[in-house]
Parts: sequence; C-alpha cells; structure tokens
Amino acid sequence: MADQRFVDAFSPGPRYRVKSWLPPIIAFLAVIAVWETAIRVFDVQAFVLPAPSVIVSRFFETSDVIWSAGLATLLEALGGLVLGTSLAVLVATMTVRWIPVREGLMPFAIAANSVPIIALAPIANGMFSITSPVPKMVVVGVVVFFPVMINTARGLLEVDPDELELMRSYAATQGEVMWKIRVPHALPFFFSALKVVSVLSIVFAIVAEYFGGPQDVLGQYILTKANLFVYPDAWAGILVASILGIALYGVVLVMERLVMPWHVSFRAADAS
Amino acid sequence: MSVVSARGVGKVFGRGEDQVEALRGIDLTIEPGEFISLIGPSGCGKSTLLRLIGDLTTPTSGELLINGKQPATARTDRDYGIVFQKATLLDWRTVQKNVELPLEIMGVEDRTGATRMLDLVQLGDFAGLYPWQLSGGMQQRVAIARALTFNPSLLLMDEPFGALDEMTREQMQQEVLRIWTETGTTVVFVTHSIPEAVFLSTRVVVLSPRPGRISGLIEVGLGHPRDEDTRESADYYDKVTEVREALRHQENGG
Repeated sequence: MADQRFVDAFSPGPRYRVKSWLPPIIAFLAVIAVWETAIRVFDVQAFVLPAPSVIVSRFFETSDVIWSAGLATLLEALGGLVLGTSLAVLVATMTVRWIPVREGLMPFAIAANSVPIIALAPIANGMFSITSPVPKMVVVGVVVFFPVMINTARGLLEVDPDELELMRSYAATQGEVMWKIRVPHALPFFFSALKVVSVLSIVFAIVAEYFGGPQDVLGQYILTKANLFVYPDAWAGILVASILGIALYGVVLVMERLVMPWHVSFRAADAS
Repeated sequence: MSVVSARGVGKVFGRGEDQVEALRGIDLTIEPGEFISLIGPSGCGKSTLLRLIGDLTTPTSGELLINGKQPATARTDRDYGIVFQKATLLDWRTVQKNVELPLEIMGVEDRTGATRMLDLVQLGDFAGLYPWQLSGGMQQRVAIARALTFNPSLLLMDEPFGALDEMTREQMQQEVLRIWTETGTTVVFVTHSIPEAVFLSTRVVVLSPRPGRISGLIEVGLGHPRDEDTRESADYYDKVTEVREALRHQENGG
C-alpha cells in the first residue's frame, strides 16, 4: 500500500525552487539600485560611501592583487578551520566516551570561550613565526574550536535511550555505539556549528592580519588602502572577503547535503 | 529447557526513602514456542519484567535464567530480539540497512537473513526507502524484521502496537501471529489491551501493581490458526471476560 508520502517526498518540484530563489535576488538587486541612485542623487563623497558601480569597476581593475591577497587569507582561514575543527571533534568525542574528561574539561572550555580571542592575535604573532600564516591559523583555530566542540558534544550525547538499549541488546561495543548511533546524531549539530564558523574564519583571519605579518593578505590590503584614502579599493577588498565567506559557507552546505542526505531538513518542504 | 525461568525474582529501584519496589516474588516459566502476554495496569512492572529478561536492568533478588543461562550471558549470546513501542529505526539508514544492523554488529557477512525477514513482514518492495517514508505500522514491521534477522530463540515486545490506530493494530496482531507460526520463536509480549493479549497468546500473565506481582495465569487455549472469526467467537469472549475479571479482582483484593 503506497502511502501518499512516498510521492510527496520525491517531488519537490521545479516551481518550488524558483520561488525560493527569486525573493533574495530581487531584494539584492533592489538594494544595489537604491544604493547607486542615492550616491548619485545626493552626491555622496567616495570616502563616506562609494557607489556600487565604482566598487565593482575597481574590483575588476585590481583583480590580480585582491585575489592573490584573498587566496592567502583563505589559506589562513582554511588552516584555522581544519586545526580548530579537528581538535574540537577530538575533544568532543573524548568528553562523551569518558565522563571524567567531560567534567574536568568543560569548565575550562567555557572559561576559554570568554577570552577575547582577538586579543590573542598580537601574542600569537610572537609565539609563532610572524612571517608565516601560522599565527593567523592559530587565532582562527581558537575561534572555531569552542562552538564546534560544544555542538558536536551535544549531538553525540543527544541520543534516544531506546537506541542505546537496542545496541545493548545486540551486545554492541562502545565503538560501534559511537560510529553507528552517536556520530550520525552529531552530524546535524556539527554542520550547524561549521556553517557559523566557516564565515567567522574569514572574518577572524582578516582581523588577525590587522596586527601585522605578511603584506599580501586581505586584511593588510584593506588597511593600507583605507589609510591611503583609496576607499573604493578598500571596498573591493571587502567584496572579495564577502565572496570568500559566502563560498566557504556554500561548500559547507554542499558537504552537509552529501554527508547526510537523509536529514529532515532536506526532505521536500511541501511534503507533509 | 525452559526459555525463561524465574524463581522469586524481585526488583527494587532507588535506595533509602525513595525506594520503589517494582516487582516482588515473580515465579514464571516460559517454554519454547509459547506466546506469553504480560498484562496489567500501569505501574504493575510488566515492562520491568520484560527488561529483566532482556538484561536491560538486573534483578535485586531471586534467580532468573534465560535458556538456562544468566540474562547477561543470554544477551551477549544474542538469544533475544527486542521491539519497543517506538519503532526506533535509524533515520540515516534505508529499511534494508536498518534490518541489517544487528547482522553488521554480530559480524555476519551473509545478509540474506535481512532480505528474508523483510519478505516475511511483506516489506520486501520497500527495502530501498528510508524509515520516515513509511507509515507507523510499516515502521513497526521493519522493527520486527530487524529483531528477527539473527534468528533469536526469544522475541521480546514492549507494547509494540501501543502507538498504532485500532485498524492497523488488528492487522499487526494477525501479522505477528503469522510470523510466530512461521518462525517458531518464543514471544513475550507486554500490553495493556485485554483483547490483544487474548487474541495473541497461548498464556496470559496478569500482573497487579504496588508491588508488581503475578496475580493470575490464564491458559487461552483457543487453538490455531486464529483469524477475524476468532475475534467473534464465544470462546474468545469468555477468555476476554476471564482476563478482565482477573484484572478487576486484583483491584478489589488489593
């Protein structure tokens, strides 16, 4: 007996997709149009706010420089993401497997989170070679660590007790419970955290760059251009940073879909 | 050898002031091939008794043997399969993969058992779907298939149809009887529905609360196979009445 739900679950329908993409695109274009018009009508100076058309033309004219700076910044952000995320997953797993680890570490994890992380940037420059991207990766890694660790630990622990009893009835090992039950439960939590920190990683890499280090990076580029009053160029740098942030977020979204296609958030929105 | 043998089994939860006696002096023997229902009002310890048999909790007194072994040994020997009120299927696995889960854990390379059980519960065509694409009754049939893939000698069912509507429920009862006949598995079935207990069982164990103890053992003796006509027979009504009176009697007595 075929349930109506089988049919619904597999037919999101092209109309639905167009409908969901259209409003943000219209809103975006509207904002740009209002911005451009306002700058021209009120004759706003470039150091206050340049027109979108000016920013975009500088974006293309300086593309060699800003994209090479962007790539360097992206590398720092990615390094920090990998560093912070791996450490976070490792610690989260340990806190679930060994309760003493959880009780011993959690207060420190919470305390560490209240540290103004960006204040570490100049210190990280001293701790590691300032000419290398490592100090920036460390700052990003610290930013990334906490939300990923807390969320992953929560997901690993938030398991239906019946599922644990089922595994017990099969005489499953702790490792099997971890891989077959806890990890799949933690994935949605992990990816929510990863979506947030993927964008943060670019932001914090740029802020860390303001505290010195290699010059061919986005933070230094924006800082230098702003100091020289070349604001359209600084804005073009910011545009690159935004594109990188959005791209990274997009990559995480795609990964999420590939890793957990079964998740409730990907079932057809109009199926009920 | 008896599948379940309980002598003076008791279970106390908590300690000191907060102590709750869930079960006291349970004597029960279940022979291979029986279909036993545990029935009683809420708080009578019927689920606790089931969980003791499955070694999901341990008795505080008495002796309990499963297939002549300690419950913990029977569990690690994978002597029983269990079905809960919720289907407890894993969302990220297809129906087929859900049914294969116990085989995976037990290191069984041959997965034909899973396919055979899916056919037995008549869900062979749905193997590739995900649990959330199935109705509640179908999900519970998957859970039954999963509990039987490794051919356990005992099937434990804890109010498995409690969340289903009446129509689906009667279909499922018929289904479970068919599976029981085809597999020869001993079944211990927890329910609070009198007609369900009578329709399914060879024997009904009536439990009374505070503390949980056995207040009646009723041989159903309706013969097999049972079908829709059984539900309308006079013998069936008599047995339903007998169980109902056993349950009512304990209220007055206790």
